[in-house]
Amino acid sequence: MKRYLYDGTADGLLSAISWILQEEPEPEKVVLAEREQTLFEEGFFINTNALQAESLFSRLRHRAPDAAYTIYMFMLAEQHGMESSSLLHYVSLLFTYGDKVNGYLTHPAVRDIVSVAKKAGRELHRMKGLLRFEKLQDGAYLAKMEPDNNIIQPLANHFRTRLRAQHWFLYDVKRRVAARWSNGVLQFGTIEQFTTPALSEDEKKVQALWQTFFKTIAIPDRKNSRLQKSNMPMKYWKYLTEKQAE
Amino acid sequence: MDILAKLQILSGAARYDASCASSGSKREASSCGVGNTSQSGICHSWSDDGRCISLLKILLSNDCRYDCAYCVNRSSNLVPRASFTAREVVDLTLDFYRRNYIEGLFLSSAVMQSPDVTMERMVRVVEALRTEEQFGGYIHLKIIPGCSSELVRKAGLYADRISVNIELPSQVSLQRLAPQKSKAAILEPMKLIGQEINTSLIERSTSRRAPRFAPAGQSTQMIIGASPENDFQILRLSQGLYKKMHLKRVYYSAYVPVSEDNRLPALAAPPLLREHRLYQADWLLRFYGFTAEEILSDDLPNLDETFDPKTAWALRHPEFFPVEINRADYATLLRVPGIGVTSAKRIIAARRFSAITPEGMKKIGVVMKRAKYFITSSGRRFEKHDQTPAIISQQLLLGEARVVEPPRQLVFPGLYSCQP
Repeated sequence: MKRYLYDGTADGLLSAISWILQEEPEPEKVVLAEREQTLFEEGFFINTNALQAESLFSRLRHRAPDAAYTIYMFMLAEQHGMESSSLLHYVSLLFTYGDKVNGYLTHPAVRDIVSVAKKAGRELHRMKGLLRFEKLQDGAYLAKMEPDNNIIQPLANHFRTRLRAQHWFLYDVKRRVAARWSNGVLQFGTIEQFTTPALSEDEKKVQALWQTFFKTIAIPDRKNSRLQKSNMPMKYWKYLTEKQAE
Repeated sequence: MDILAKLQILSGAARYDASCASSGSKREASSCGVGNTSQSGICHSWSDDGRCISLLKILLSNDCRYDCAYCVNRSSNLVPRASFTAREVVDLTLDFYRRNYIEGLFLSSAVMQSPDVTMERMVRVVEALRTEEQFGGYIHLKIIPGCSSELVRKAGLYADRISVNIELPSQVSLQRLAPQKSKAAILEPMKLIGQEINTSLIERSTSRRAPRFAPAGQSTQMIIGASPENDFQILRLSQGLYKKMHLKRVYYSAYVPVSEDNRLPALAAPPLLREHRLYQADWLLRFYGFTAEEILSDDLPNLDETFDPKTAWALRHPEFFPVEINRADYATLLRVPGIGVTSAKRIIAARRFSAITPEGMKKIGVVMKRAKYFITSSGRRFEKHDQTPAIISQQLLLGEARVVEPPRQLVFPGLYSCQP
């Protein structure tokens, strides 16, 4: 079985896939893995070519928009090192079957890609609800988060239409990545050193209102913390305004 | 009274309304305003009772003229009373929305001086949100039965969803427990809303600039367990509401004893299992192609507590099974216990590529716990021997191992109660 290696980046993975699909008559029989720089590592290394990666992705989008979105969500999960062969086989199936490929769940590669992508998609949807902004002294709003998947880009896109008249920041604490929306421009960047800015004067008052609402809206006779935790896992509580009062 | 105290009273009074959906409406954000809506709806938190919070759910006032026995806000109940001003509700909604606490507003109210006065004040709040603040988030507005049709029309133009609560499943119960309400006064606005929604849909199909009327449709709610109706009556009522009035949702709310009244049953706890079974049956009506008459009958007027309604139906209809998963159409697959909308779609998508084996079913994520007794794959059964409904129900209840092997351990009566 032939073995290929790439440099571990997303661009590297896509350009390797593009190369293999072009050169290999039977891509389903090929293994693709991340290079680990060990002494006797076997395999043929494929150079990263950002242009090739981009051209492959735009071809994917053209051929099968839904499946291309699945690949995008899969990349956000940042697990491609473990599943690079699966992605190769998935892309090769995609060119045969188009968007129907996502229904081929009995195929192990499809199942791998779809289940990772689905997890990322679920977290993205969850964060659209669970993200909490705090109003700062200068009138801007800041939301901190620590999601498992790197979802800041699609999340920022959601808020750019929803809160478009508002000046806001998203900050991924673990990845040190921030998004900034101001005067109709959305920017992304990394933050080396983060200092929490001062809150606006009325912020604590609004937070107390929300905490009160959160408490009283629950029906005491129906208390069910298990259900609450399964819908809203505790790993998200750290930045939830309503969970700070407890 | 300060705003925090008001919020405490008026959200506490609104919590028995079950609806919190924020889906079904696609409203674009305006350039200078705040907010849009999401087609699939978004939950923003889950309260201590495990229910989703997506809307700021409050009453405009809990100062009620009516004296409905089941209601916490009835006039004879000694609770603190409060009312919001329109400005207070608008500010709360915007403050919460800007911080992403909520998807929008759910506004209901006790009946103040009259239905018209109350409804007018409620409409004024949403009018201010939509026109002055350009608020594009989700709004669910309650209609007060007995208010003028002009106000109903106005409400539908501003809100995404409007709802009239049917409260109790029959006119008799309504008369007994809520003497100031009548079935006619409840059904009349429902009919009007249904007509307006239809008209708006037709107009919008020819002109995109035609006004939208309650784009997320109308819903209603009834209280379960406060009156003697059986499940069959309730399901037939829901079926009628879905078919004739085109409602989007009927909500069932297990009666929580909020007052002592000799017209009400004494309940140790809210009938949550019954509520759960009614929701399952409701799903069968809306998404699974079942009719109320298939699920229940005059001889069998109440839902089974042990089995979900679909399993109960399947056990009564052995002639329908087994279903061949590689050939059955979508509607037939949906009738298999344990196979829902998602699983049925996945089966149909996957069998385009190759026949699905028992292992394949697990791979595509179908839960086999119940389904395995009712299906074949390419003619082969999933279970070794022939199954009669009696054996299947026993196995579903106890798990297979227990059926084959009699218990060898000492059994302490009452410690593990397993009722057949």
